[in-house]
Amino acid sequence: MRRKNICLAWLAFHLFLVTAICVRQLSWLIANGLTIVPFTPAGIASPAEKARSTTAERARSNPAKPLLVGYLHCAGIEGAYGFFAPNVPENYKLAFEFRNRDGSVEYDLPSVDSGAAELRVGSLLDAIGRSDSEKYRRILIRMLTAAVWENHPEAISVHAVFGKLKLPSPLEFERGVAPSYEFIAAYDFERSADSNPK
Amino acid sequence: MSLSRLTILNDLPIPIRSRIIQPLPRVRDWLFFPTSDRWLSIFRIGLAVQLLLYVFSLRSDWNYLLGGTGRGLVSRDLAEALLSLESWMIPRFGWFIGLGKQLGIDETIVLSLSWYCLILGAIFLLIGLYSRVAAVASWFLYLCSVKSGGLGTYGVDALTTTGLFYLMLSPLPDRLSLDHVWRKKFADSQLLGFWRRVLQLHLCLIYFFSGLTKALGRDWWNGINLWRSLIRPPFDLIPADILVRFKYGFPVAGVAIFLLEIGYVFLIWRRGIGRVWLIAVLIMHLGIGLTMGMYLFASIMIILNLAAFGPGKLWREKELSEDVDPSLSVEPA
Repeated sequence: MRRKNICLAWLAFHLFLVTAICVRQLSWLIANGLTIVPFTPAGIASPAEKARSTTAERARSNPAKPLLVGYLHCAGIEGAYGFFAPNVPENYKLAFEFRNRDGSVEYDLPSVDSGAAELRVGSLLDAIGRSDSEKYRRILIRMLTAAVWENHPEAISVHAVFGKLKLPSPLEFERGVAPSYEFIAAYDFERSADSNPK
Repeated sequence: MSLSRLTILNDLPIPIRSRIIQPLPRVRDWLFFPTSDRWLSIFRIGLAVQLLLYVFSLRSDWNYLLGGTGRGLVSRDLAEALLSLESWMIPRFGWFIGLGKQLGIDETIVLSLSWYCLILGAIFLLIGLYSRVAAVASWFLYLCSVKSGGLGTYGVDALTTTGLFYLMLSPLPDRLSLDHVWRKKFADSQLLGFWRRVLQLHLCLIYFFSGLTKALGRDWWNGINLWRSLIRPPFDLIPADILVRFKYGFPVAGVAIFLLEIGYVFLIWRRGIGRVWLIAVLIMHLGIGLTMGMYLFASIMIILNLAAFGPGKLWREKELSEDVDPSLSVEPA
């Protein structure tokens, strides 16, 4: 009986965490106007932001937080379950223009061998695109550039262009509208003495 | 309980009174229901196959995706540094690589060894030899690979981690495992039903919130999201000029998808419609796998569904585990 009660208590705690994470994500989507729920962020966002920052400060000083976050990751319940919801995320692309010493130019993309890894590269580009931090975005694009640069040993500099794919609706597609790219940012890197892009 | 409340309860008919007074035992009975271990066999074998598909699908890119600074696509060190900001106790390959460095073993060798160990764990899990150890090792190594390659993860990783986490805690071994056949080890029958309920309830939450979030997106009602998800690279396996012929079907299919997901939590438990619902969900995942190329995502969802609701819904459960009281009847899942 005691073991059953322990199991029950754990299950209640575990499912509470799963639900709380999903509700939190859903609330965030609603609060940011990403759903059909009519919502005016101006009135409520400010106190919510305030509360969140206070909670974050409290959590930082809370020694139980790493344990709880560790548990969430170990159980695979750290994220919500909004697969392609409420909307299909934007599709991001990164293209490189490598310039060789002789003035010639080569084009390339971040590439992997398998289809399974390609899905992961797609997730990585989406994560870069979704990030609000320009510094974070630049660091990741620099890393991707360095990896692809291995295939272009003659190149002395690279121009990396990060963009977003705009997909047409079925009716637009029928009218002949093709997918197009929207420019987001461009980065220039030069090979340094230690062979890393700068 | 106060005396006055007890007096009121005493006036009620016995079945109603017992329902009010004893909600916890009823919940307990529902959670710890007697079931055969067939679901556990499906769960164990399914997750082992899922792990094998995962490792073999990434065979040529394993070291490239998980390499450290200057060795991989994106530095594993960065992913692990970000993890450390969240919690120091999240498993990662950096622990093994640090240990390897002290022993003079190169990072690429440690990563390759981890790939082979994951295969070994999956094979032991598949045949059911040292099931518990294999489940723990597989969960740990899988988690390390997912967290160290954390910048390129997607839904399948969290779902597989959850599956392995539950498997590791489930009452292994099951009757189809070599542990049972050779070593005469038995599962703890009391917990078989409980862990099946855990899996069932978790699936209900997954579908409910996934469906609800979709229902709140305007473009799931008009079918645009379904269209976009099918023509969006790298999921664009079917050419758009073929898909566009079905443009009037997208709004219906979009609404059907979120209704199927929201309805799962309410209807999967029912005898007749539950079976239909389960089959519909399995077809949906098969469709996702075939039309979008998300084979691993499709397979993990099919495995979780088959383990949670398959026995009792798709086929009859006839036998109980040998160490379950045979007088107990098997409830439909």
